[in-house]
Amino acid sequence: MQSADRYRIALLASYALALHGLEAFIPTPIPWLRLGLSNIITVITLFFYGMKPALTVTMIRILLGSLFIGTFLGPGFFLSLSGGLAGTVSMGLAAALFPRLFSPLGISLIGAFFHNIAQLFIAYLLFVRQIQAILVVLPFLIVAGTLTGACNGYAAKYLIQEIRKAKKQVMGERL
Amino acid sequence: MRGTMITKADKVLLSLCIFLSFSSFAYVKGMVPAGSEVRIEVDGKLKYTLPLNADRTLELNGTIGKTTVEIKGGKVRIKEAPCPNKLCIHQGWVESGAVVCLPNKVIVTVTSPSRIKDPDAVSG
Repeated sequence: MQSADRYRIALLASYALALHGLEAFIPTPIPWLRLGLSNIITVITLFFYGMKPALTVTMIRILLGSLFIGTFLGPGFFLSLSGGLAGTVSMGLAAALFPRLFSPLGISLIGAFFHNIAQLFIAYLLFVRQIQAILVVLPFLIVAGTLTGACNGYAAKYLIQEIRKAKKQVMGERL
Repeated sequence: MRGTMITKADKVLLSLCIFLSFSSFAYVKGMVPAGSEVRIEVDGKLKYTLPLNADRTLELNGTIGKTTVEIKGGKVRIKEAPCPNKLCIHQGWVESGAVVCLPNKVIVTVTSPSRIKDPDAVSG
């Protein structure tokens, strides 16, 4: 990895962190509903650099984000961690196994889905222990995941296209 | 370099997610049989119907004395009873089925709910 890439990945991580922090101020109709805006950055990282940097960005975002907001090692932290890891790994695998099948939109939907499934599973293991309670929330999370996953995926697709355009322009000027 | 145009697979996936959103509601509704109501009968008469998820302790007057029923953390037990062998107390915490105290004619059953409250959950 070139040092310029390293610098860019650090920058992406800080963008993700900023979105993560910003999101905490956005009110949602249900307290556990999150927009997952930082997932836009994860998808962008995945498309430009691959799974490992995407995981790095996610881990930095979750660890520092929880330290800043004050949820480090609290119940929300473990849910965040499990969801973030599952989402990123599932997106990375989908992108690696089916290279040209999905656009950022599809990748983001996959990530949102597995993010929610992993969170519910960890919530069941660590906190709730009542399968009915988990089953009752599941449909709501699938709906929320589809909505936020599609919106974030679309945003990621737009941004990736713009970044590529800008890159081409810079290259053109250098030539 | 990977493409960013919306693909057919994207559309299929999105339709699948939307379909799953709607079907999961119907599916889960049929899958939640769990007992969340506690019915307490004394001497053959229904005295209380209480939610299992609200902690509460109550004393009942049976035929030979006082029976204390405790509801806590989604489970129910008979805490104290005047009967000689204390079988009901030894049965401990129960989240489905029944606890019966025959000598005092107290029957505690956990039955199917009429409605399930939305659980609390936190995520970040």
